[in-house]
Amino acid sequence: MHGWIGKVLRIDLTTGKTSTQPLDAGLARDYIGARGLGTKFLFDEVDPKVDALSPANKLIFVAGPFTGTYAPSGGRYNVVTKAPLTGGIAAANSGGTWGPALKYAGYDAVIIEGKAPKPVYVWIRNQNVEIRDASHIWGKTVPDTSDAIRAETDQDAHVACIGPAGENQVLFACIMNDLHRAAGRSGVGAVMGSKNLKAFAVIGTGAVTCANKEGFERAVLKVREMIHKHPTGGTGLRLYGTDVLTNILNQIGGHPTKNFQDGQYANADKIGGESLSAKVLQRPKGCFACVISCGRVSKVTTPKYKGEGEGPEYESAWGFGSDSLIDDLDAVTKANFLCNEYGMDTITMGATIACAMELYDIGAITKADTGGIALEWGNAEAMVEMTRLTGVGEGFGKKLALGSYRLGELYGHPELSMSVKKQEIPAYDPRAIQGIGLNYATANCGAAHVRGYTIQPEVLGTPAKVDKDTIEGKPELVIEYQNMTAALDASGACLFTTFGVGAAELAELLSTLTGVGYSTDEFMKCGDRIWNLERLWNLRAGLSAKDDQLPERLLKLPIKTGPSKGSVSRLPEMLPVYYERRGWDASGVPTEARLRALGLA
Amino acid sequence: MAKMLMIHPDKCTGCRNCELACSMSHEGAFRLQATSVHVYTWEREGFSVPMMCQQCSDAPCIKVCTPNALTRDAVTGLVNLDHAKCIGCKMCVQACPFGNAVWDEVANKIHKCDTCGGDPQCAKACPTHALEWVDDTAATRDRKRAFANKLKEAFSE
Amino acid sequence: MRIAYFATLRDVAGKREEGWDRPAATVGDLLRDLVAKYGPEFARWVFEQGELRLAIVLVNGRDVRGLQRLDTPLAPADTVTIFPPVGGG
Repeated sequence: MHGWIGKVLRIDLTTGKTSTQPLDAGLARDYIGARGLGTKFLFDEVDPKVDALSPANKLIFVAGPFTGTYAPSGGRYNVVTKAPLTGGIAAANSGGTWGPALKYAGYDAVIIEGKAPKPVYVWIRNQNVEIRDASHIWGKTVPDTSDAIRAETDQDAHVACIGPAGENQVLFACIMNDLHRAAGRSGVGAVMGSKNLKAFAVIGTGAVTCANKEGFERAVLKVREMIHKHPTGGTGLRLYGTDVLTNILNQIGGHPTKNFQDGQYANADKIGGESLSAKVLQRPKGCFACVISCGRVSKVTTPKYKGEGEGPEYESAWGFGSDSLIDDLDAVTKANFLCNEYGMDTITMGATIACAMELYDIGAITKADTGGIALEWGNAEAMVEMTRLTGVGEGFGKKLALGSYRLGELYGHPELSMSVKKQEIPAYDPRAIQGIGLNYATANCGAAHVRGYTIQPEVLGTPAKVDKDTIEGKPELVIEYQNMTAALDASGACLFTTFGVGAAELAELLSTLTGVGYSTDEFMKCGDRIWNLERLWNLRAGLSAKDDQLPERLLKLPIKTGPSKGSVSRLPEMLPVYYERRGWDASGVPTEARLRALGLA
Repeated sequence: MAKMLMIHPDKCTGCRNCELACSMSHEGAFRLQATSVHVYTWEREGFSVPMMCQQCSDAPCIKVCTPNALTRDAVTGLVNLDHAKCIGCKMCVQACPFGNAVWDEVANKIHKCDTCGGDPQCAKACPTHALEWVDDTAATRDRKRAFANKLKEAFSE
Repeated sequence: MRIAYFATLRDVAGKREEGWDRPAATVGDLLRDLVAKYGPEFARWVFEQGELRLAIVLVNGRDVRGLQRLDTPLAPADTVTIFPPVGGG
């Protein structure tokens, strides 16, 4: 095989047994890899009704065929599992260098089963797989864990691990690799913690091969050129990072503010990309094989919030900033560092604190609950302290660890959780941008912008500008983006390659690399297949059309301030059309005909 | 005037495109043990440095190479490695003060930068120009000028 | 009129925003005046052969690509917001 290695590693943590199996070529062709292949493994092997934090759940790490090659910005891997946050499928995507290391060690995927009797870490050097004691590392932060494990294995080993948050099963704990990259959402870190698995260290001397070297090289050069020429992919992201979006979204009035009470924040500029570049940025950073370099190496010198690391991204700056009426960039950056060190999703953390602030505002939570901390809007110190408490599992942090939905439910106001399927909505207001709202409601992992990033046409105007306020054509647009993205995620490419190229170029890269011919249509069809498989699994897990919803606030409470004043989400009008265009019945269930067309029936 | 690979670590993003280009052009596959350029990343500080053979004028590796597999090319000024003559003694690995001669235990050979015959693929692949193939006199001048500019700005009104 | 600049345009214009007294009938007229003031660096980010090149230009928060693009009319009390084409994430 080319691109793919052709081998899957299976580790049973309960018995300590490891085994390998070949990667079926048909599965590889139909699901491509990463998110797609991981979903297929989950679908075939895990009962959707299991408790996500039980040994019956499986944790699947999968790289794509691009991963480990110089497919531009094509070095990603996915973690697929049942999500403790949503009860549905989780497919968390991460960059860095860990995914390529797995390929060089000789594997496309690792399937983790069961639960270790006590804390362990897995050490892989080529075909040598060891399960080692991690009791002396349990409790360490992500950076300290990485250092400790490299000292015991190989200083060049690549480490993916959980921090204390994953160990304590914070419902939105994440898996961090290479210190600063996150398989972020839905609580995949909690699943890892529930298995007593602290970390994965990998090093490999193997190769990823290429079927058509001249063809691949030509395709790679073309894609590099196209991304380089694109103002965002080629320049903007390197100069400002994703946080450049703060001012863009704010100026059009689609920047959720004060737990989505409004859509514009007067002080947004203070936490935007321009301020980030001027105040905390050290230099740009790139993941494996990246040509875009959107990563932000950053440092805060203000004594109160001193720290170094990477970020914040747009969603993170928003979550710790505008969503809680905070305009202190140092505090926002510090909260981001803490999330990376403890291993927590920044979007859920920020949005949960904002929800808590609203609960505090209405008196549903008081200082008696918060341990004396005044959880008032705009209180940056409180926000940072709450993040730390959640990371270490103390005080009110133990309640925040539930995420905003269960937190709201606990205090009698679940309607104040701005979430879908209990996963928090990111930083684009569905009232100001219709298509993204439909994407949030229908994404199989819960609210997530990256599943169908229609912000590109609706706000940025790439490849072409589409009216953000219309609902006409939005179901079709969302479906196209969702399908394309699913296939893109499965290949190991970074979403940001779409600032430059599309399905056609990705299909060409994939074909020349693997030697398996993918037309643009076939590539898109893989994405459609993956999407429907995720949907089927979710339906069996107990999720249904009633979960394809947005919070009442976004359907009923118009934006108060700014150019999108007066708007609400028109999800109820778009959803039936979406189901129909997807080839699903009126209850959002894929029809026999659709499944047969995708080879799923 | 000869050319040299100029390293600008301040521009390096740690992306490894240089390693990938080197591996593919020499080995025909992506195997990062098999590259002549290596990037070292200090993750806590977020700083990365690419390293490759500096083609020393007075090369310690040439001195210790008994089969004369390592020789100096009078025309290009490069240190050439003739793999056919190499006996794999790894004395060059011992001798290079920078660690730029690398032993590949899988392929049983030494990897050492050969500038791809005067057209280094790593410099072409680098998205931020952290590696530049420049005239060996201009190289130092540009960096000097860049820092002179910082001094100028420090004194500006 | 008020003009607000973001990202690289702040470096080019040397400011975040400014009041603008010189009348401009349309967005195109205004951009041409700004290019005249700030030079080719400004043009590079906003105009390519007289066309908006993925730059986001808002009039009172509304994207001109949904209005009349460069022919979008301007009134003296309007706020024009200009982003070079750098956004994403």
